[in-house]
Amino acid sequence: MKLNFFSFDNNRKLENAISFSIILFLFRLVFPDDMGFSPIMVVINEALVVLTFYVITLYVTEFIEEKKYPPLSLILNAGILNAFIFFVLAVIAALFAGIFSESNYANFFYSIASILYSLIFIAALSYIFSVFKRLFFLKQKKGNILYFNSMIGFLLATSASATLNFLTPSFDFINNAFKVVTILLIILNSIRISWIAFLTKKEKIYLLVISIILSILFGVNAGLSSNPSLTNKTLTEFSPALHQFLEMMMIYGSIFFGIVFFTTLFHLPTAEAFDRKAMEVSSLMDLSRLITQVFDFKELADTVTDITIQVCKSDSAWLVSNSKGELSLSAVRNIGYLEADKITNALTDQFDLKNINTVKTISKKQASLNGNGGFPSNDFSSFAVSPLKVHNFINGYLIAARRNEDLFDDDDQKAIGAFADYAAVAIENAKLLEESLEKERLEKELDVAREIQYKILPHKTPDIKGLEISALFIPAFEVGGDYYDFFRLEENLLGFVIADVSGKGISAAFIMAEVKGIFESLAKLILSPREVLTKANEILRGSLDKKSFVTVIYGIIDTKNEVMYTSRAGHSPLLLVRDGQIEEIKPSGMGLGLDFSPNFLNSLEEVRIKLKESDILVLFTDGIPEAKNASLEDYGYERFERTILHSCMGDINELSNQIMKDVTTYSQGNPQHDDITLVIFKWTKEKNNKAGEI
Amino acid sequence: MVDFNVETREDSHVDIVDLRGYLDAHTAPELENVFTKLIEDKRFKVVVNFENLAYISSAGLGVFMAYVETMRENDGDIKFTNMSPKVYNIFDLLGFPLLYEFYTDEKEAIKKFNEKS
Repeated sequence: MKLNFFSFDNNRKLENAISFSIILFLFRLVFPDDMGFSPIMVVINEALVVLTFYVITLYVTEFIEEKKYPPLSLILNAGILNAFIFFVLAVIAALFAGIFSESNYANFFYSIASILYSLIFIAALSYIFSVFKRLFFLKQKKGNILYFNSMIGFLLATSASATLNFLTPSFDFINNAFKVVTILLIILNSIRISWIAFLTKKEKIYLLVISIILSILFGVNAGLSSNPSLTNKTLTEFSPALHQFLEMMMIYGSIFFGIVFFTTLFHLPTAEAFDRKAMEVSSLMDLSRLITQVFDFKELADTVTDITIQVCKSDSAWLVSNSKGELSLSAVRNIGYLEADKITNALTDQFDLKNINTVKTISKKQASLNGNGGFPSNDFSSFAVSPLKVHNFINGYLIAARRNEDLFDDDDQKAIGAFADYAAVAIENAKLLEESLEKERLEKELDVAREIQYKILPHKTPDIKGLEISALFIPAFEVGGDYYDFFRLEENLLGFVIADVSGKGISAAFIMAEVKGIFESLAKLILSPREVLTKANEILRGSLDKKSFVTVIYGIIDTKNEVMYTSRAGHSPLLLVRDGQIEEIKPSGMGLGLDFSPNFLNSLEEVRIKLKESDILVLFTDGIPEAKNASLEDYGYERFERTILHSCMGDINELSNQIMKDVTTYSQGNPQHDDITLVIFKWTKEKNNKAGEI
Repeated sequence: MVDFNVETREDSHVDIVDLRGYLDAHTAPELENVFTKLIEDKRFKVVVNFENLAYISSAGLGVFMAYVETMRENDGDIKFTNMSPKVYNIFDLLGFPLLYEFYTDEKEAIKKFNEKS
């Protein structure tokens, strides 16, 4: 409760500083002349001065910490204040001397002026002190706080002993002893300056100039403050401790800036290397941040070349990416695209860049010697080429070029190598992203194709007396373009078609849809398979591109006359299973889309087959004979026919299952790469008739 | 991964394209590039040697269909040689022998080209 007023929480520091200044001001106004007479009053006075100084320092310290001033601006501020103190000590003192002569300096007006004057000194000193404190702790380890605190202790002791000295001058030696210890501690503390190393070269040169000026200025002020001038007399009368403190702070400044000067001087030769390392580190940090956040290859590429130019002191830089053997340039900086392209070609032609493991430096001389047509660039003389490697594969290059003939040194090469690694990752990321987008697009496309195919294929086989029908379709992952269908033409006529569109995916699915339309309409108009296929070829002429074709078998089964007519357009043969033997029905004919001249019709045969009881007709697409096993060998016709003969005695659905089982077992370990369609007819008229009779 | 390789060489003003491995929808673009290049260079007399080709899919067959017209319009052709029976069977089923010339040896095909001109 009691402490509330003095509580130094963050919001009250400014108020505290102002209130203490006012209290001090009023105190001095009320007791102007008591100084030097009563020791109690002197002690109270000194206590007030110390407290005021303390609260102001608290406020200023926090202010500085909050603003996070860089050390150089802190030093500059302290310097300005110091110059101001110099101005007050040297110039104002001369003016005061004129206005207040010795005779009247005890009057009321003089008291107010001298109190304000002293308060200004308190404020200025507390600022300078805060700056020193901040500079001391900047980039320092925590353990050093003991040194600083003991220095403050001795500073206070020196100031206190000055007060004692003021009261009883015989204690002079105590003050001197404290002073010596304090100065030793000041020197000790000033040596521990680590922030200078982190300044850039430019800042170091600036600091060098400013520190020598400040060291001299503080020195001069220290000298001035120990003069028995009127200003000093005023200050001493106001508070001997304050005066002593001023002197000590000036000594501190002089020593501190002297040491700063020499430290900076020693740091100067390494300044450039330090700058470079710092830039490299921050560049790499920027890059690693970018690489995780940005997927835009262009932005990353631009950053990489910009940083290469900055860090490696090159005049231009560009990235070369190698996709499918073609070199393409990106993020070309400070050079014309054509010139960069020419240089890239010249470098890749003349040097074996395909097998470089690390950064290679090339001078124009070397390049000109190797080439026979001279070097294509007059402007650039020195190059560094770094491979962009991912999984030991060179994806491209990062090339940096200089106009002057300085070769890129080891440090440059290391940096370029590091940047190239980032560029390599960026390119790889961009590629992977593109691939996954492409894959997603393809998968969507395949979904559409599958849907089309599903809608096109018949969902059940027609129910025909005397004819058993089995149809089986197994789509491949990449939709293959298989199609089969049945058409009821007349009471006793059934048309059937099996087709395979070349190619895969959505384009095959669309052609398949068209093929369905064509056959559905032609089947009902024309009762000759040969003519149907000829007409279909003509219609497809408009929609098939040059490299697409469709293989088809079209046929008609006449159940009344027990006969089948069929024509084949490039499709795998139809298999007729009769009396335990297989006959390949392979009338001549080329695929739809191969030729649109009369050749097509001329090549096309139509066969007529008289059906016998228990005849089995097997229609299929090449997905069956071309099914591959793990060592990529075809399932083949022989195996296919063997399986058919083995299982043809039973039900045709069972036959279909047996075939698929055999194909699946054979091709285990290798994904199905094409659609499989299997349509089987069995002629069972007699069996049916008998069944009907019973 | 199954692989595919295509190389071209020249013999008596005829370009010979050697195929190797598996020619399917995924590898067909490689062969397309070769034919595009031949047409760009005005090389219209082409013999395709199938000796080392293990498999050809419908997409592979389509490549020849796409380019043969241009070759023929310019007094050239695409002729096929050295096919294994298995590969020939695929061409045969489709009716290619009605439209293209097939030879057992590439020398015959080259001779045929040079006879004409």
